[in-house]
Amino acid sequence: MKQEISALMDGELFDDDVGMVMDHLKRDHATRMNWATYHLIGDVLRQPDHIHSDLSAKVHERMRDEPALLVSRGHAVKQKMRTFALSAVASLSAVGVVAWMSLQISPEIAPQLAMQQAAMRPASMQIQPKSDNYLMAHQEFSPSTDVNGGASYIRTVSYGIDDSPPKNNQTEKQAK
Amino acid sequence: MRLCVPLCGLLLAVSANLHAEELPVGFDWLEVAAFAGHQTDYSGVFVYQFGNQVETSSIVHINDADREYEKLESLDGPKRELIRHDGQVWSYDHDKLVQLDSRQGSNQFPSLLPEQLSALKANYQAKLLGVERVAGYNAQVILFQPKDNLRYTHKLWIHTDTGLLLKAAVLGERNRIVEQYAFTQLQLGGKVDRSWGGTCDLADMHGKTLATTPEAAKNYPSTNSGWVADALPAGFNKIMEILRPMPGKHGPVTQIVYSDGLSAISIFIEPDDHDEDDVDGLSSRGAVNLYHKVLDQYLITIVGEVPPHTVMQVADSVRYNGK
Repeated sequence: MKQEISALMDGELFDDDVGMVMDHLKRDHATRMNWATYHLIGDVLRQPDHIHSDLSAKVHERMRDEPALLVSRGHAVKQKMRTFALSAVASLSAVGVVAWMSLQISPEIAPQLAMQQAAMRPASMQIQPKSDNYLMAHQEFSPSTDVNGGASYIRTVSYGIDDSPPKNNQTEKQAK
Repeated sequence: MRLCVPLCGLLLAVSANLHAEELPVGFDWLEVAAFAGHQTDYSGVFVYQFGNQVETSSIVHINDADREYEKLESLDGPKRELIRHDGQVWSYDHDKLVQLDSRQGSNQFPSLLPEQLSALKANYQAKLLGVERVAGYNAQVILFQPKDNLRYTHKLWIHTDTGLLLKAAVLGERNRIVEQYAFTQLQLGGKVDRSWGGTCDLADMHGKTLATTPEAAKNYPSTNSGWVADALPAGFNKIMEILRPMPGKHGPVTQIVYSDGLSAISIFIEPDDHDEDDVDGLSSRGAVNLYHKVLDQYLITIVGEVPPHTVMQVADSVRYNGK
């Protein structure tokens, strides 16, 4: 059903199927949630500056309204475990959705997605030794050279490049 | 400069004279450290850690009649040596000295320009965190916390007597350590062993003139290329724009440098040579992030000691504004 929803959003669904998906959307709450989530993901990818979904206030409000539960400790722990397990599943499936979306969405959005992912994994890729010249040229004029002295040049000398796992390189390319 | 202990007091007097207005707490230490980094004689071993890597290096720094000699040597992994003298950099490569770079105006003091200082005050909050021991010396700990999330937090351990930086950490989100380096062993002042180790003897080199390549010896011409970046974080002032040679490049490369007083962002612009190896996108080493992108037949490279999203934000805003 998730694939159909995405196809519907992209206007790539046949008329017969549109009716079917619409029907599903009307009846099934989970499908409606997927619909909303996909639109949110799309909006974030297209206009990251305009999304302000500060949930903390809402969460705070809900917490205040939550009745104090007077239950035995063992029960509460079990409950917690279950919530954790559920949220873990939720985040896993969210990752799945994003990865899957990256295959589905149009090519001009894909680089943006790759950039977003790069932002999420800052230390994903080591600077290549052939870029050392840029680091050296930058280091000359960086104020860190004044304060840290020659020690700051340590960044420009790549000793340990052989140790860096090459597989990061591949994932980066796949993401694109 | 063998009399290290009175240096600090003298230095405070000097810096008080230089700036009519009193430097705020914390920022004065920065100036002291910058001065001491040039003036102090020291030798020692320090560790540099970033990500899951740790590297150990040795360093010797000598200031003889305002001429600086410095040698940096890797102690683990393949042997690498870096020699700095009067703002020029050489590297030992297979027993041959290769000049890498020369720094313009190396003796610029004070190193904190007034506009950089005001950028510092406007964008960072300095906090004194007490005195800790590093490599057996007492150090004043100072935290520079940025007021936005476009730059890193810097934590410095500065020797209370000489003002030398003994340890430095760069912290990112949730105070996660991005990189840090610290002396584990250090000799100061007259105790520096001038004949200390390595293939290139500093004492031997002392007083001799190192060969300079013709292109490195002359200052790079400043230029006004017409390239601009619109989305620099507040307080990053343009320090210079030069046309410079770069090893491995056919033609000169335009370099524009911006700084907020603690970190810098460089933008390099050169004609795109369609080199497949220039990986597009983001890469990093410690606190330094690098971003390559091709724009209108030009290869744009952004380098800075700022978080990845800042480098990307700057890269996205680079455009040609000339005729």
